[in-house]
Amino acid sequence: MNPPGFLTSSWLVARKDMLLEWRTLDTWSSSAIFAVVVLLVFQFAVAGGAAQQLTGADLVPGVLWLAIAFSSVVGIARSMDSERQGDTLSALFRSPVDRGAIYAGKLVANCIKLAALELVLVPLAIVFFNASLAGFAWLKLILVLALCSFGLCALGTLFGAIVSRVGRGEALLATLLLPSATPLLLAGVTATAAVFHGDELTTVTRWLGMALGFDLLYFFLALATFEFVLEE
Amino acid sequence: MRRSGTRFLDATLLAATIAAIPAAIWAAMLYAPTEQTMGAVQRIFYFHVPSAMVAYLSVAVLLTSSIVYLAKRDLKWDDLSLAATEVALVFCTLVLITGPIWARPAWGTWWTWEARLISTLVLEILLLAALLVRRYASNRDLGARLAAILGITIAADVYVVHKAVEWWRGMHPQVFKEGGKGSIQTEMQTALLICTVSITLLCVLLIRLRYRTARIETRTQTMILERAEEGD
Repeated sequence: MNPPGFLTSSWLVARKDMLLEWRTLDTWSSSAIFAVVVLLVFQFAVAGGAAQQLTGADLVPGVLWLAIAFSSVVGIARSMDSERQGDTLSALFRSPVDRGAIYAGKLVANCIKLAALELVLVPLAIVFFNASLAGFAWLKLILVLALCSFGLCALGTLFGAIVSRVGRGEALLATLLLPSATPLLLAGVTATAAVFHGDELTTVTRWLGMALGFDLLYFFLALATFEFVLEE
Repeated sequence: MRRSGTRFLDATLLAATIAAIPAAIWAAMLYAPTEQTMGAVQRIFYFHVPSAMVAYLSVAVLLTSSIVYLAKRDLKWDDLSLAATEVALVFCTLVLITGPIWARPAWGTWWTWEARLISTLVLEILLLAALLVRRYASNRDLGARLAAILGITIAADVYVVHKAVEWWRGMHPQVFKEGGKGSIQTEMQTALLICTVSITLLCVLLIRLRYRTARIETRTQTMILERAEEGD
């Protein structure tokens, strides 16, 4: 029997991850609860004093991206942790598939999980901070979220595997991922602010272009180096 | 067993550095004229700028040795990576210490949101994280591989982070503006040149020394492992 091709094997890895997630809701529940807590803490931070004259449109972009960044760390660490417990990552490595495909599969799964998280997070942030979005702004927001979250997952999947190989959890992953993702977070905050202020996306083309460049750079960098992480 | 050629080069490097450091102090403290608006505190610039340059130089060494290690799997390249990471960390810390000391009187603030400040801080955190990953790894080869992957991503990231924050907001003085209007006087330029040469010599010497120590450590480790295998 021939080993499956790149796309098939990445799909199989992604499907396995999604199936596990669907049956346990393990990652989603831990990171969603964490994200809601982050939103809640920001409520305390900005409720009184100097921040009073800021509107929801001023607050939501920053708060939303901080919540996404922190909870993605929790989510990715969680999903890698379950691979480590059963030593299933080395089992995957021994299977006759392209190592890049394992990365791609895990990346797809992580992206879907983060998207499911954002599905909850965005409405909650809007409600908590009293912002509003009209009509097409939703589509723009989805585009911005997709562009910037992809890079976060691309880098997070690589770093998550590295951290799981040395057996340390969230703290080390946060130390690696959050500073590295500074450009993405800046792009995300700027573009989301433009959406909430009702501006056209053309005003932030440069930022979206940078997010796309970052996505591609880290996707290919991780695709090329992932096999060295898994190696025995 | 080292060849006399390398020994001669090492001795020359050491002698040159020992001669150069007092020259740098003389150039920065006595030779260079006092800057008119900022006063004596501007003299910190003669150590701040060269330190930043050699920190980036060490990151370039780190990038090269990481790629070569992944291709060749010779531990001597990993020893070079380790030396470059540690030396980069030292100079990066110097930049982060001298910068605020200068910025407080010059800008009126210790720290601000600015491209080079943020990218230097990100570099510092990522270098530390790379050293941590190396230390946490259960064996030498794993640590070397993971550190090499991080070495490559760090080098790529520092550039992207810098660009991103520069777009966000820039206020760091552009010392080397293209076609500059001769804002730096000739004597200041000479002093900066002397300091740059000295600090570069110091950086090369430190990398060289750390590399040699790392080689000795690696050889000792290999010998201990071989003995243990023979004993079994």
